[in-house]
Amino acid sequence: MIEFKNVSKVYKTGTVGVKNANFVIDKGEFVFLVGASGSGKSTLIKLILKEEDATEGKILINRKDITHLKQSRVPYLRRSMGVVFQDFRLLPDKTVYDNVAFAMYIVNATPKHIRRQVPMLLSLVGLSNKAKVYPHELSGGEQQRVALARALVNNPSMIIADEPTGNLDPETAWEIMSLLNDINLRGTTVVVATHAKDIVDFMKKRVIKLENGFIVSDKKGGYDSEI
Amino acid sequence: MKYNIFSYLIGEGFKNTMKNKKSTFAALSIMIATMIIFGVFLAIIENIDSFLTELEHSQAIQVFMTVDTPQEQIDKLRNDISNLDGVNSVQFVSEEDAVNIMKDYFENNEKLLAGVEDIFPPSFLVNFSDLTKSEEVQSQIINMEGVSTIQNSNETTSALLGVGNAIRLISAIILVFLIVVSLFIISNTIKLTVHARRKEISIMKYVGATNAFIRWPFVVEGIIIGVVAAAISLLAIGLLYNWASTQLMSSVLMQRLGIILVNFTDMFSMLVVVYAILGIGMGVVGSMISMKKYLEV
Repeated sequence: MIEFKNVSKVYKTGTVGVKNANFVIDKGEFVFLVGASGSGKSTLIKLILKEEDATEGKILINRKDITHLKQSRVPYLRRSMGVVFQDFRLLPDKTVYDNVAFAMYIVNATPKHIRRQVPMLLSLVGLSNKAKVYPHELSGGEQQRVALARALVNNPSMIIADEPTGNLDPETAWEIMSLLNDINLRGTTVVVATHAKDIVDFMKKRVIKLENGFIVSDKKGGYDSEI
Repeated sequence: MKYNIFSYLIGEGFKNTMKNKKSTFAALSIMIATMIIFGVFLAIIENIDSFLTELEHSQAIQVFMTVDTPQEQIDKLRNDISNLDGVNSVQFVSEEDAVNIMKDYFENNEKLLAGVEDIFPPSFLVNFSDLTKSEEVQSQIINMEGVSTIQNSNETTSALLGVGNAIRLISAIILVFLIVVSLFIISNTIKLTVHARRKEISIMKYVGATNAFIRWPFVVEGIIIGVVAAAISLLAIGLLYNWASTQLMSSVLMQRLGIILVNFTDMFSMLVVVYAILGIGMGVVGSMISMKKYLEV
């Protein structure tokens, strides 16, 4: 599903983002990416999203080498994954319904399909009654749920979440994480970059830990488990 | 399927235009301002051009025939001269006409003409549709049978042509300059709009939108603003022109000079075409230029 082979990313300024990363994430896995700020978590996510190009090594997504993917093909790569961010990134002048439907317009879905799919996803994240509301009228947790619905609406094979609970209070953070867990149980691969130590410790999933761009541990368990 | 995405993108363009009232208003007013300046300038040029053309047409040469040229010869000459390239009209001046003209000229001193009444040869007054062909035409006429001399004003002609060409060249340069300036202003205005919505654009990119999908609503927005600006400018310039020409035509100076301004309806179709191209062109090119930077996420 996601495969990194000796991947390094050095920014033009000389800053090392990721150094010599090797790992495979299989279909249906739930993986946490952990590490302090600047450890390379975000770089890793950006490499998966093809927002940044690797300076060395090979990245395969769904068995396809994306290392030298053409710019014009990047949108199609991103459609195979649902993305969730710390700051939700909803379109402020569109309703909850339109924010989710928007992702379907992009892939040129039929109006019929959109009318069926959007309410289904909104009910999955528990926001059926907020369809006509604008993002600024929602709480942080609700906004992140909309973002999740948007990420899922085109049935992607994986969800990539970059600090999805970073802006949320602990209780809401738990809700979002358990929602991600539910999604994973339905067969979707989930990759979550996070700081939330207690959640990671509790969920007992595979944890990839980064320090200064190096992967220092990769095993099932908690935040601080060593190799 | 295709229809669905097409109508969605156009719909988004309209929605954005209405939603971002401030930037729409800014772009619209700048576009209208440039278009009106452009229009005023175009109107001035058009009038200068029509005045010059008028002046050029009034430049005539007088072709004198030998005295007692037979009527058939005159008819043949008139025909031959009319058929020359660059000739607008040929007017026959008979011996009697020439004498009458002279009598008018000397009004109260008709006695001065006594005894010379039969030395005036018949002639043609020839004027041009294309003044640049003047010398060529003259050399052809002088070789025709029955033509004795040509009286011309070659110096006035060449001076007039020089001035005309200079003015036309200068106006073309200024018009091009104005187009470049408007394009620059418009693309900057749109750049501001795009900049204000860069977050939105980056979100679209993360969700997997292609560049074309992101660009189209902006292009549609540009076209809408361009067309609306063109319509308003056309109306404004029409009212302005009619008012200004009425004022000018009633002034003593203009009447003395005998200048007749071009009717607005004669310029209307040209203005419509120019404004449509300007409006849509600036909308499309402006949004294309200004979006380039933000699409590289």
